[in-house]
Amino acid sequence: MMPIWTKSGKKHAVTLLKVQDCHVLRYISKEESGRKTAQLVVGGKNVSPFSKPESAHEIFKEAGVPRKQKISSFNVTDDAIIKPGTPLYAAHFRPGQFVDVTAKTIGKGFQGVMKRWGFKGQPASHGQTKTHRRPGAISTNKASKVYRGKKMPGKMGNIYRTTFGLKVWRVNTKHDIIYVHGCVPGHKNCLVKVRDSELPTCKESNKNPPFPTFFADGDEKLPEDLFDEEIFQFTEPSVTY
Amino acid sequence: CRASSDGKPAKFQPPAKPVIVDKQKQRVERRFLSPEFIPPRGRTDPLKYYMERKDMIQRRKVFNIPEFYVGSVLAVTTADPYANNKSNRFVGICIQRGGKGLGATFVLRNVIEGQGVEICYELYSPRIQAIEVLKLEKRLDDNLMYLRDALPEYSTFDMNMKPESHLDHEEIPVNKLQVRMKPKPWSKRWERPKYNIKGIKFELPESKMKEAQKWSQPWLEFDMLREYDTSKIEEQIWKEVNEELKK
Repeated sequence: MMPIWTKSGKKHAVTLLKVQDCHVLRYISKEESGRKTAQLVVGGKNVSPFSKPESAHEIFKEAGVPRKQKISSFNVTDDAIIKPGTPLYAAHFRPGQFVDVTAKTIGKGFQGVMKRWGFKGQPASHGQTKTHRRPGAISTNKASKVYRGKKMPGKMGNIYRTTFGLKVWRVNTKHDIIYVHGCVPGHKNCLVKVRDSELPTCKESNKNPPFPTFFADGDEKLPEDLFDEEIFQFTEPSVTY
Repeated sequence: CRASSDGKPAKFQPPAKPVIVDKQKQRVERRFLSPEFIPPRGRTDPLKYYMERKDMIQRRKVFNIPEFYVGSVLAVTTADPYANNKSNRFVGICIQRGGKGLGATFVLRNVIEGQGVEICYELYSPRIQAIEVLKLEKRLDDNLMYLRDALPEYSTFDMNMKPESHLDHEEIPVNKLQVRMKPKPWSKRWERPKYNIKGIKFELPESKMKEAQKWSQPWLEFDMLREYDTSKIEEQIWKEVNEELKK
């Protein structure tokens, strides 16, 4: 995470996300998937092919791509279908767009009810016998059962969570890095899924993306760094009011 | 000329060549790498530190961040939308330098009209318009937070202080000042060995000093897992930063 300053002098925190060897692996049509839209299966980060059996390598062989550590699917409209085997770059996202980021949260192991659910526990003194971090009552007398989904101690973290509506401040095309506003679930160097935001307030800003994606061998030559309009770039002199 | 034993003239012996000792070159070049360039120990990808360093060097090309240490007196002018001239000048002694990368900060302390004031500035913030070093010197400690509990005369500096010149090649003077403290209670127990403060003249009784030593952890200096040797990383970063700044 890094600080970033706007032209008015305000400071914001950004998370750096690296797009590492992403390729489109497979196209699943509407009928096959049974959903309203078609799907594209995308794989990230290259990994050695020797730790999995040959049967798991089929998808990668069809696309002509080394084995990927993580694959996930994206719901895509019919006009945005990409041929399997095309690489995806960070320039797919432009500064000013809004993005949803999904990742597995940091695993905390088996945790008690105070850390996991934020219960208040009991006082430390004034006669409490062996009860300082316990949940207390778990149901009422009339219910005569414990409801499903009752908040109780258990394994915390290591589940998929999404942060919505994060602004993209800057994109580095040379190293394929996306600078995304605020914080993102997951630990350092973990694998993360970045999608265009589905929030209704962010639909306007996502109007003109590179469609269907940014092709490196195409005609468009981008500068090394793409900045949002409001960012203070370090080549400018200091801010004055 | 001297007559030799066999009567022939002696072979001409040229005088020894003079050895020119260039005192300027003999002085080892002083290298200063700002502490926020050195990455902390962790599992972050070095690419992240490389990207931050590029931004830091870019800022340094446009705006001069001088060399200074904890204990030097600085004057900082920042842009302030609510001030008269839209700018604000503050003079103070640097008591702490914290943070790594772009978020590096330094705290300046001064006593204005009897009120102690500390301001934490970010080195790379675009609102800072000028940083001047009025007095470049080091102190016995890396962290002068104890000045809060010292007598106010040690933290007062004139707002219109004149900058003191400092020659480029000379070593930075170390001010071995031992500061006198206000009576206890202090904000932190500065006599305890965990703070390892050399710059206070403790006027506490011997029994108190001995009791403070009870909290010493003499095994810490031998702990090998705490060692972080930054010499090689510093060399690499120094070369990189210098090359970029010369361009």
